[in-house]
Amino acid sequence: MPTVFRPDEEPRLRELLDAMERPVDLVVALGPEETPLPGAGDFDFSAETVKVVEALAALSGRVTSRIEQQPAGVTLFPAVLVLPAGDDRGLRYFGTPYGYELASLVGAVLEAGRSAPSLTSESLERLAALDRELAIDVFVTPT
Amino acid sequence: MLLAYKTALASPHVTAAAIEAGEFPRLADEMNVWAVPSIAVNGVPQWEGAVRERVFLDRVLAPSFA
Repeated sequence: MPTVFRPDEEPRLRELLDAMERPVDLVVALGPEETPLPGAGDFDFSAETVKVVEALAALSGRVTSRIEQQPAGVTLFPAVLVLPAGDDRGLRYFGTPYGYELASLVGAVLEAGRSAPSLTSESLERLAALDRELAIDVFVTPT
Repeated sequence: MLLAYKTALASPHVTAAAIEAGEFPRLADEMNVWAVPSIAVNGVPQWEGAVRERVFLDRVLAPSFA
């Protein structure tokens, strides 16, 4: 069975995760899956998602992982909830973060581990004036 | 994708989700996803392709989402 991370990238990743200013909790939300596109074969999306998340959490004590069955507010499965310091700030990954998109999950974790946002000061000022709710969905593919 | 996550972390009013289009073809179809990344705000398809931070915020903060 192939490993989730390449052996040559693990040390750097451990270093980055260990250096995070706050811990990050990962929740794998499992439930009924939509039928994927033809070609997916017998790929077990939920099992793969658990494997990826557990492998990421195993790299550093700053990252924890747990599995929940159909948590409130989640309607697509599998999903990964990224919780900075255990706080749900609405960061989600719906689907299995493998291939190219593994970097998106790792990026989400590293960003969530920062104690201050990494946007420019101009962007932060603009967001500080925001007084309505925005749900941003980004459709991605793993290849 | 990272910009969306950064934006969510910077504002309590923003949430950000990556959605794997191949695993959720029905939703991707509803959102007219033909290429990735494809961005929707508050359930309305907006644009395709990566953009710089300033442009990203210009678009997601557009008054049409008021």
